[in-house]
Amino acid sequence: MRTDELIDRLGRDVAVAQPLPAPGIRTAMWTVWAASCLVVGGVVMLAIMSSAGVTPGPLHLVQQGAALVTGILAARAAFVSVIPGWNNRVWLLPAIGTAVWGVLLLWGGLRDLRALGTLGLTSQSDWPCVVSMTVGGLVVGAPLVWMLRRGAPLTPGLTAFLAALAALSFANIEACLARPHMFALTVLLWHGGTVGAVAALCAVTGRRWLRWPDLTTQ
Amino acid sequence: MDEPLASDEHLARLMARAQQGDTNAYITLLRAITPRIRQLVRARHRFLGDGDVEDVVQEVLLSVHAVRATYDPARPLMPWLSAIVRHRLADAGRRHVRQGAHEIGVDDLDVTFQAPAANSREETFGDPEALSQAIQALPPGQRQAVELLKLRELSLKEASALTGMSIGALKIATHRAITSLRRALRAGNDE
Repeated sequence: MRTDELIDRLGRDVAVAQPLPAPGIRTAMWTVWAASCLVVGGVVMLAIMSSAGVTPGPLHLVQQGAALVTGILAARAAFVSVIPGWNNRVWLLPAIGTAVWGVLLLWGGLRDLRALGTLGLTSQSDWPCVVSMTVGGLVVGAPLVWMLRRGAPLTPGLTAFLAALAALSFANIEACLARPHMFALTVLLWHGGTVGAVAALCAVTGRRWLRWPDLTTQ
Repeated sequence: MDEPLASDEHLARLMARAQQGDTNAYITLLRAITPRIRQLVRARHRFLGDGDVEDVVQEVLLSVHAVRATYDPARPLMPWLSAIVRHRLADAGRRHVRQGAHEIGVDDLDVTFQAPAANSREETFGDPEALSQAIQALPPGQRQAVELLKLRELSLKEASALTGMSIGALKIATHRAITSLRRALRAGNDE
């Protein structure tokens, strides 16, 4: 097909395309959804699972605050990454949020070592949280993916990674509130490992579900 | 021939109207940005041929069409467009490398199959002198049959009339002559 013919064809097919809201507004819309899921999921999880007798302390709440900020920053960065012409260092703020979150968990681990004499690496496995975070991440992340697909898949791997980080950060909060952990390092290894593994998987497969239109199907 | 380049403000206004479904504004916009896209593609990927450049230009136009809702009318259009071009060029570059790793360009395919026996040029014997000597070494009856039927390309009937041999005898002599020639030439090649 000649380029002039393509232009005529695209012109004939043009329909109203309202500009997408700014990334900040889209982030706020998604955060409302994620927070709703957090509340509902937390209540359900509390009802069906034991709390392991651990009362969340102030540091625990600060850690969850860091996870919350990381999730919001990652979601905003994901929305920014699908807008052509925006800053391509969108990953910087969520990277800082993730680092702060990790440092807080490490600090919690050191406090556990001082207080209990162990890091608790072998005392707790956390498969229920891996499952609940993965399922919760899917529920929280599905609308995020749907919203991102309306954008331009300029960097599909990075966008997918940020989306997974955002969704799993919220899912992590739900898992931690519903099933508080005795050792901070358990959270770092099991929750952090789940976030890392799922986000890496999304980054690798992102190009498959965040795609440009195919020339041959137009 | 590329048209003169329109100003960025004008393009931004056209895009804003196109987002409201204005067909004329959209076609005008696409025609205006096409030379710019072509220019960007040629400048950044000099290794692409004209056909490949046009493929990338069309991919960019399709991408612009698909994600036109991501354009914010309050912002300039060219950074938005340049980002799309840059990423589509990166995709084209990756595709180019991927194809280059698996495909070999051939201008003139002079063989039809991998086996030498299957190629038509192998049907012609490469050494006429050896063939001539092999024919001279044949028994007189076989040599005469080959000369009349294969070299002078007479019909069996004509050859029979000339030699006084029956058609059946000519067929047998020719068959034996060809077998002898094949054996003699193969032996010559092996030495």
